Amino acid sequence: MRLRLLPKSTVRRLSFLLAATVAIAGLSACGSGGSSGSAGNATSGTINWWGWTPTDTATADNYIAAFNKQYPNIKVNYKLVNISDWVAALRPALASGQGPDVFDVQPGAYVTEFKSFAEDLTPMAEQALGSDWKSKVAPIGISGLTADGRLVAMSVGAVYAGMLWINEGTFQKYNLSPPTTLSEWEHVCQVLKQNNVGCFVQGAAQEGFDQDTLQSIANSVQPGLWTKASTGDAKWNDPGIVQTLAIWKQMFGDGIMQTGAVGYQQYPDANNDFLTGKYGMVMMGTWYTQYATNKAMTAALSAAGVSGAKPFPILPVAFPDVAGKGNTSEMYGDSDFGLAVATKSKNRAAAETFVKWVTTTTAGQQVIADQLDDLPALKSVEPNLNVIQLVNPSSQTKPVQDLVTSVGTVTEPRESLLSADVQTAILAAATSVATGKATPQQAADTLQQAAEAAGETFK
Amino acid sequence: MRLASRREPSGVAVTETHVAPHRPPSQRAGAVGGGVRTRRQARRPLGLPWILPALTLSVGLLYYAIGYTAYISTLNWDGIGPNPQHVGGGNYTRIFHDPVFWDAVRHTVYFFVVTFLIQTLLGLTFAVLLHSRVKLAVVYKVIVFVPVVLAPAIMAPVFRHMFAPDGEFNGLLHALGLGTLAQPWIGQTSTALPVIMAITIWEWTGVTFVLYYAAMTQVDQSVLEAARIDGAGNLRTLFNVIWPEMRGTTVALAILSAIGALKTFDVPYLVTIGGPNYATEFLGTYIYRMTIPLDHVGYGAALSIILLVVALVMAILFQVAGRERKARD
Amino acid sequence: MFEARTWRTRMVLQVALTLLVLPYLFPLIVMVKGSLAGQGFSNYTAVLAVPGLARFFVNTIIIAASVIVLVYGVTMMAAFGFAKLHIPFREFYFWLLLACLTLPEVVLLAPLFATAIRLGTYNTYWSVILPLAALQVPFAVLLTRNFINGLPDELFEAARVDGASSFRGFIYLVIPLTRPIAAAVFIFTLIAAWNDYLMPLVFLQSTAMQTITLVPSFFVGEFSNDQTKILASAVITAIPEIVAYLCLQGLFERGLSAGAIK
Repeated sequence: MRLRLLPKSTVRRLSFLLAATVAIAGLSACGSGGSSGSAGNATSGTINWWGWTPTDTATADNYIAAFNKQYPNIKVNYKLVNISDWVAALRPALASGQGPDVFDVQPGAYVTEFKSFAEDLTPMAEQALGSDWKSKVAPIGISGLTADGRLVAMSVGAVYAGMLWINEGTFQKYNLSPPTTLSEWEHVCQVLKQNNVGCFVQGAAQEGFDQDTLQSIANSVQPGLWTKASTGDAKWNDPGIVQTLAIWKQMFGDGIMQTGAVGYQQYPDANNDFLTGKYGMVMMGTWYTQYATNKAMTAALSAAGVSGAKPFPILPVAFPDVAGKGNTSEMYGDSDFGLAVATKSKNRAAAETFVKWVTTTTAGQQVIADQLDDLPALKSVEPNLNVIQLVNPSSQTKPVQDLVTSVGTVTEPRESLLSADVQTAILAAATSVATGKATPQQAADTLQQAAEAAGETFK
Repeated sequence: MRLASRREPSGVAVTETHVAPHRPPSQRAGAVGGGVRTRRQARRPLGLPWILPALTLSVGLLYYAIGYTAYISTLNWDGIGPNPQHVGGGNYTRIFHDPVFWDAVRHTVYFFVVTFLIQTLLGLTFAVLLHSRVKLAVVYKVIVFVPVVLAPAIMAPVFRHMFAPDGEFNGLLHALGLGTLAQPWIGQTSTALPVIMAITIWEWTGVTFVLYYAAMTQVDQSVLEAARIDGAGNLRTLFNVIWPEMRGTTVALAILSAIGALKTFDVPYLVTIGGPNYATEFLGTYIYRMTIPLDHVGYGAALSIILLVVALVMAILFQVAGRERKARD
Repeated sequence: MFEARTWRTRMVLQVALTLLVLPYLFPLIVMVKGSLAGQGFSNYTAVLAVPGLARFFVNTIIIAASVIVLVYGVTMMAAFGFAKLHIPFREFYFWLLLACLTLPEVVLLAPLFATAIRLGTYNTYWSVILPLAALQVPFAVLLTRNFINGLPDELFEAARVDGASSFRGFIYLVIPLTRPIAAAVFIFTLIAAWNDYLMPLVFLQSTAMQTITLVPSFFVGEFSNDQTKILASAVITAIPEIVAYLCLQGLFERGLSAGAIK
């Protein structure tokens, strides 16, 4: 190939291009240090609230309307950002200084990720509830949302897991009672299968829900072991965990888990299957309580594609003693989310007012509580079951009330102690055992290695 | 050098031409890449100003991204913290020892070969059939094309439901008397990858179809007639006349499929989340997983650079292969 | 392409075509069925009642149209240059362009974001239009260059001999003769711009600028997922794209180039 020199004009053009690109690169790499926002007025202004929950704008608008009754001059705009896009969308927005004034924060990875963009809310909490504010809110909401001694976000409400929900009608129809041991569970599933009804459905492809089931099994094997492994006080290949994985595998082999469970996702697959009556049991947490109400269940049924279906009562039941050792499988939970105030916000004072109202006032917390999605952070507030319309009050009121009361004493954390890497490793362990690619011992060993590689320190 | 702006006095038709006698299509059409340097080429006007806008736009905007990614791949960083740790080539060595990475590569290669072959075959078949005289061609064209338009994010739950143990696909198998084949397609490591491939083929055949259809409009009718007069049947015509003319399109599609396979993310992530147990993990999903939920931005960047290099090498290989076959004709 | 003189051959072709197309139809039927489940057509009215829907449509149209115009202009010029004009180190520039196609979108977010801030385009249409166009151009150039290669050199030679500049050759030869591939580029660019989700989400902050790809997320929550309305919104979003395809696929018909030499 004959070499040909480029004409001077082209060379000049190209080098200008290159220089321009480098210049832009250099400028952009200078970082996005912005000025931190001014405080603004505490009782008026417009603030932007970004969240993945409440999961529909109508609910958020309800909260805002209730807020506006007390503070009519603060306009709140809610932007729903799906949790799967949360990190991708929030990182740039917060860094730009043009992002939200108030944003949701979840315990765990998000706290680490976004803590540098959030104000310390301890002064706000002290001002609202006094210096002993920590005793007035659920403890589970504080530690999960604190980082480096700063309160990154104020908890709005908590969710707890470790229970099952059953279709009352299905159980009554076949004269079954909720199982309390593994063999009883297998029996229930046998009966249901004989009658061509599904037994238990789970979105086993997803980490969060598998994690719940494993934690419940572990709590039945050896209470508190799971939490110890999460903090490094026990190893992930402790014999108790190996037994947990063995029982998990048994659930697949003995017909409790539905066929093809590792291909299901909890929402919409498993959820729709349970709501349409295809399956009689599902493992969900306290957020599922909202479906015990007429309104929510009817909406959920139509979302599941069933036209003209009648809502049916669902009941919470305790997780069975699958290990057979007589331990009650305790529930566990985390703050579902908290609200944080962006350091770069230009309306910090108004933002704080909003956060304060939602998280520390009885009025704000009652609105949250009555939604039955989260259990309120403020200890003095409880959902008002007299106002909420359950599908079948006679059978549901007591179990739901018991559930709400019992979770008030829960201290065991759910996911907040687990880093994202450990969570991924837990899912790998669960699916490799479920698909038979690894024995429980092998999977536990791999999990331990992965946790160590992820930086968890063990004693 | 002949100046492009030289003008003939208006009204005078220049009768001397440089048009060579009519050459068969295979020597003319679809040349990808250089070709033989003739005296004619040296007299062509300079094309640099013409490609400058494209280069400015794409290279200008995206090369910062490429450079930035290359820089980040030498860091251990979570994307936000102020103190990234410099590890040089550390991420790359970890990648080479990462079994999930090699699984992902294996899946990607297997995926590319199968989907490219089937998509090309089907796209070509549809294009040829729909260029012939069939009734209601528009309906078929729309049906094949609509999947291209539907976002994978929307279709993923539909497919999960379709391939569920009690879903429509197994229902169809039962209806056709093939009930013994019914199984949990997505819940098994053995069948999850084929399902992903099937969904991708469904989604992208419309693209190969449209491109082959457009390319076939360039096929010289007179050559087709000549072949038919010589007694060639439909299939002979397809292999000897039509297919050679499609070479350029096929090379372009190969490059695009290779790059697409390397980047593929939507379908495997949304339908099976790379599972069960990494059975459907691809380079694209692995990069996403590392970058967003796990915050290992440096590792994800290193994976992206590897992807870029592999993609470029494949593109170059395809182009050269296409050119060589051209020269051999 | 295939000859179908006898009634029998035509039947065979028709049947073959129908059998081949059935697997493509099947998931579409499942999807439409899903969109009508639950509340039936009310799902569609619910989607149409999403606040600001008209605005979202307008935004999408603005972005898509701008991307198409930009991509078409830039691509035609570049493809003509690569295919018919003399460029030293031509393949190098071409691969330079192709490399832009290889980065996954998720990796581009952070650097594109930094660029958008520095150029002052954050939260404007340009922050989405420019990257989308930049990502589409290599793909379009790859296809168009190939097509233009197939146009006989003699045409351009004749034009040059007749005294036309490259520019006139471009306008009067390339543009008309590349209608089929231009239509393909138009369609694919439209789809890429219309369906893009991640970039409008990240770069367009105010609700007034959001695109219709955001609509399904109104129906998805952390603990809920309204499939019926999501599918209905997918159908509504897809309709304009299908209409565009129908209008343009007439341009794919037998082109003018086959007879141009004569």
